[in-house]
Amino acid sequence: MGTPRNRRVKQAGEAPEPSGSSRRDFIKTAATVGAGAIVAAPAVASGFDFDLESFFQKNFRELSEEELDALVKRLSRKYSKKYGKDVSVSAIGPMDGVLYGYGLDISRCTGCRRCVHACVEENNQSRDPEIQWIRVLEFERSEALRGIDLKDGNPYYEHKEVPDEGKFYIPIACQHCEDSPCSKVCPTGATWREPDGIVVIDYDWCIGCRYCMAACPYGARHFNWAEPNVPAEDINPDMHVIGNVPRKRGVVEKCTFCIQRTRKGRYPACHEICPVGARKFGNLLDPESEIRYVMKHKRTFVLKAELETKPKFFYFWGTEGRS
Amino acid sequence: MPGAGNDPGKDRLPGNQATIWGTLGLAVVVIVGLSAVRLEHQPETTRDYPPRPLIADGPAVMKPAPEIDDEYLPCRDCHTSPDRQTGPIPRELEYEHEDTELAHGNLWCLHCHDPERPGRLRLADSSLVKFEDSWQLCTQCHAKKLPEWRAGVHGKQTGHWRGPKEYQTCVECHEPHAPPFGTIEPKPRPKRPDEIIQPARISGEEQHGDS
Repeated sequence: MGTPRNRRVKQAGEAPEPSGSSRRDFIKTAATVGAGAIVAAPAVASGFDFDLESFFQKNFRELSEEELDALVKRLSRKYSKKYGKDVSVSAIGPMDGVLYGYGLDISRCTGCRRCVHACVEENNQSRDPEIQWIRVLEFERSEALRGIDLKDGNPYYEHKEVPDEGKFYIPIACQHCEDSPCSKVCPTGATWREPDGIVVIDYDWCIGCRYCMAACPYGARHFNWAEPNVPAEDINPDMHVIGNVPRKRGVVEKCTFCIQRTRKGRYPACHEICPVGARKFGNLLDPESEIRYVMKHKRTFVLKAELETKPKFFYFWGTEGRS
Repeated sequence: MPGAGNDPGKDRLPGNQATIWGTLGLAVVVIVGLSAVRLEHQPETTRDYPPRPLIADGPAVMKPAPEIDDEYLPCRDCHTSPDRQTGPIPRELEYEHEDTELAHGNLWCLHCHDPERPGRLRLADSSLVKFEDSWQLCTQCHAKKLPEWRAGVHGKQTGHWRGPKEYQTCVECHEPHAPPFGTIEPKPRPKRPDEIIQPARISGEEQHGDS
C-alpha cells in the first residue's frame, strides 16, 4: 500500500494519426454525445438502486469527521425510510489499546449452527439469495489424528440431532488476519485492516472484482450475485457503516466481529448465542481477558498457519480427557 | 477505425455512425479514466481515528438463580414416617422420583441434598449453602473448572467483553442429576451451490457463465 504504483502504460505517438477533418468531427460528436451519456448514465443506472451520493462517496478512510458525520446521518435517514423503523447507523471507531482476538473450543462445538443463523440476523445478511458468513464444517474424528484438510469438511451435514456420532465440527468465518491477503489484492482499497484488528470492507468502494475471494485461504468472503433481500421486519436497526449496513448487488461481504456490537463493548452475536459456551472473545492486549487466558493455558492453533497470514481467530481443544 | 481506411471516397464517417463510435469511444475513455484515477489513488493504510479511550470494564455478575426455599422441594411431605426415611445407600428410584434421571457418577441424593433443609444444599463439610451458590458444591469435585469458569473460559458469558458481564452458573447449562450435554437439533444447513442457481430468476438478466 502507500507507494504509488504506475499502472498506466504511456503509448503516445504509437497510434497513426487520422486525417484532420474526420478526427475533428469525431471528437466533436463524441464530446457532445459523451456529455449526454454521462448525464443519462445515472438515470439509466437508477433502475438498479443507483445512489449518486454513494457513487461519488470518498473512501471511508479519507472522510473527514464532518463528512463521516454527514454520511452516518444520510444513511440513517435512508434506511429508516426504506425499512420503516428507527435505524441508527454509526461509524464508531476503535478503542485505544484494543486488538480483538477470538477463541473457539473445538472440543465443545456441537455443530448446531445457532451461530450461523444468529450472525445472519445480526448482520443483515441476505436471506434469499442466501448468504452466511459462518460455515460449520463437519469432520470425522477418526481422521483427526492423521491430520485433516479443510476441503474435506462437509458444511451440508443434515442430522436429526448433533453432535453426530464420531464427528467433530469447526465453524469458520473471517480469521481477521494481521497479514491479510484479501486486503493486499484489492485494486480499489475497498478492504483493509482497522487499528483494532478488524478487517473491514467499504461497500461503496467495492467494485465486485472478487480478487479478495480468490486470495482468502479460508473461503470467508461472500459475494452478492443478486440484489440481497432482507425483509424489513427482520432488519437489525443497529448498524455500522463498515459493518452490517445493507449491501447491494455486486459487492463482497464477510464477518466483522460484529463491529457494531464489539466497539461498544458487547460480545459478538455468535458468542452470545452459543449454547455450549465454545466461543471466547476479548482484547488480546489485556492480560486479564478471556482470550488471553485461553492463549496462556490452552494449546491454541490457527488455520493454515503455514501461510503466515497471522489470523486473530484461535482454535483450541479446551476439554481435558475428552477425545 | 472502420470506414476510414483505404477507400479515399469514404474518408469521412457518416453522421450516425460517427455518433455511435464517438459515444462508445468516449465511454471507454471516461471509464478507463475514472478507473485509472481510482486505481492510481491508494487510500491510507487505515483511517486516522481520533483517540477513543478504552471504555470502563464492568462487574461480572452471576445469572440470578430462582428462589428455592424449604417448601419448594416437598421432601418432607413423604419422608416423615419411619418406613419412608431417606437412606444413605443408593437404591432404585421409584414412586415420585421416576422422572429424575440420576446419572452423575456414583452420587446419591444425600451427597448434595439435605433431607432436613430441602431449600439448601449440603457441602462435603456438612455446611449448608443456598441454591444460588450451587457452584460451590459442584467445584468441590470439579475444582479444575473453577479457575476456568472464573476467568470466563469454562461456561458461557453474555453481555459485554468490556463492561457488565453475566456468568451462567454450572446448573444453567448442566442438568446436575445428569450433567453431560445431550444432543440437540441443528439449524438448517446452507444451500448447496446447485440449489442456489435458479434459471427462472436470472433468465431476464445477463447469464454469468461462471456463476
